[in-house]
Amino acid sequence: MVAVIDSLRQQIATCEATLQDLHQQLAEAEHNQRQQERVLRKTKPLTTDPLDHDMNFGVPDDFRSEVFAVLDHEAEPQEQDESNKLGRWPLEKNEYRRYGRQLIMPEIGLQGQLRLRSSRVLVVGVGGLGCPAAAYLVGAGVGTVGLVDGDVVEESNLHRQILHSSARVGMTKVESAMVALNSLNPNVKLIPHILRLTPETAISIFKNYDLVLDCTDTPASRYLISDTCVLLGKTLVSASALRIDGQLMVLNNPPSPPGDPTGGPCYRCVFPKPPPPESVVSCGDGGILGPVVGVMGVLQALETIKVLTKKATGTEPAPADPPTLLIFSAYSNPMFRSIRLRSRKAKCTACSAQATISPQVLESGSLDYAQFCGSINPIDALTPQERISAESYAKLRSGVNPFTGTVSNKDNHILIDVRERVQFELCSIDGSVNIPFSTVSITPGLSLNPNTPSPGSNDMYVDENDWATQLRQTEKPIFVVCRLGNDSQLTVKKMKELGLNYGGKRFIGDIRGGLQAWREKVDAEFPEY
Amino acid sequence: MAPAKAPAGHFSILYFAAASTYTRRASEHLPAPVRARDLFALLEERYPGIGEKVLSSCAVTVNLEYVDAGGDDAEDAGRVIKEGDEVAIIPPVSSG
Repeated sequence: MVAVIDSLRQQIATCEATLQDLHQQLAEAEHNQRQQERVLRKTKPLTTDPLDHDMNFGVPDDFRSEVFAVLDHEAEPQEQDESNKLGRWPLEKNEYRRYGRQLIMPEIGLQGQLRLRSSRVLVVGVGGLGCPAAAYLVGAGVGTVGLVDGDVVEESNLHRQILHSSARVGMTKVESAMVALNSLNPNVKLIPHILRLTPETAISIFKNYDLVLDCTDTPASRYLISDTCVLLGKTLVSASALRIDGQLMVLNNPPSPPGDPTGGPCYRCVFPKPPPPESVVSCGDGGILGPVVGVMGVLQALETIKVLTKKATGTEPAPADPPTLLIFSAYSNPMFRSIRLRSRKAKCTACSAQATISPQVLESGSLDYAQFCGSINPIDALTPQERISAESYAKLRSGVNPFTGTVSNKDNHILIDVRERVQFELCSIDGSVNIPFSTVSITPGLSLNPNTPSPGSNDMYVDENDWATQLRQTEKPIFVVCRLGNDSQLTVKKMKELGLNYGGKRFIGDIRGGLQAWREKVDAEFPEY
Repeated sequence: MAPAKAPAGHFSILYFAAASTYTRRASEHLPAPVRARDLFALLEERYPGIGEKVLSSCAVTVNLEYVDAGGDDAEDAGRVIKEGDEVAIIPPVSSG
């Protein structure tokens, strides 16, 4: 940490020195330019100038002096402006240069840039979505950008969370992002909110912003952010990504008050029911491809810029685009599909006339988002007799069975690794056999009669039953291991349901804590991913 | 990966995210017509458990348009999915 702080101090000092140097150079260059202009007007034109002849010989003297008088007159106010710095131009000189490439587009123009500069945007979550989104918004010159996140940067974030860096692992994500964003565009005011959003704090944070980006990673935060935006009348740009899929919606646009059917739908209108908690997969468990989440974050920035710079037609505010759900599926063709959404749901609990969610309900904390979305208790499916610690299993492999005291080795039992195949291929314990949990979990238990396959299942289950058949061919004890020690318990249960323990004659158990415990207690070289 | 045009008497169904993981396919063709209210039962029959684990929280679209198809009291329960239609099952993705 000390090294990080020192390195940052040094970086800041270097940047400040460079900045000062640039200011100096700029002042000199501007001074030189003014001098040059003055000289050009007063001295004879250069002989290489094609106008030279005309100006010197072809134009009558009185006309010539008139022309110069006009030119001089025009030049005067500019010099005055530069000396007293009062706004002759709506943007600062550096802003014209910095934003020039977007300023010259009719979609943005001067008015659009001024709207961006006066906007206050909140980015909730500074991870795979929030990093690219914030980078483009800060780059585009949004005046104020707030950043909400309670996490710290981890090494496994860096492949996709592009504002963070190797040197800033361990720093809060908000502070790390501020370092990067500040060096990208020092004109933007950044506001840190180093915390995890809660129902009690959401309103007080959101109310100071014009528009909110949901860049979070849980169902509970998605409902909380949507509800808060509806209550406060803020448009919400919501995106998500997992593995190779992404989704994007501009919600509550226009942000009419709850009950007003002209307002845009909210998150609850599209997804009224949260997914069952056991089906919710995080990027840590399911994986995420950097550019997939990057694309979604960049699109959030784009939609935000579109909403903020929308031109008014006459005196009427510009009509909002019809609501859509954009689906990104990186390995499909086409990669993008745009779904037409409906307006607000007549019975929506957040944005309809029948809404039950109010600011009081939210701030009192009586709305339990965690409960609404459910949570999974740590799996505790087995008895202590069915579980073995990583250390005991290591001893068993090296010779002594801690249960029976008999001499043993890795060949007189079967070690089943139930991680998915791609993880098994990354690293595995020597001699282990891979049966992916996805295969185990869709194998019907014995409650279904194995002689009458369930309808439509014939193309799904035939191959998968093989693993059970193969395990029936020996009577060796079975040990099951997975990444963390959850799926292994469920697999042991399933194996017993299938009768693989021969009514208790054969030992089937799991390794407590999975390969994580194996790495921590037995084999420190075993890769962590 | 783009599903081929549905054969005569069928509609296409696309499975996204968790729906694709559960069914182990990105798309398939199913016999048409089907009433929207019967779609979930049809899928439950083919993929036991999908109703509770996936469909209960999904958005359903027909020809790129959001429809409210879940359950008998749904707004579009009476709608009929016709031959050649493209249905999509879209679970909420919440990671980021």
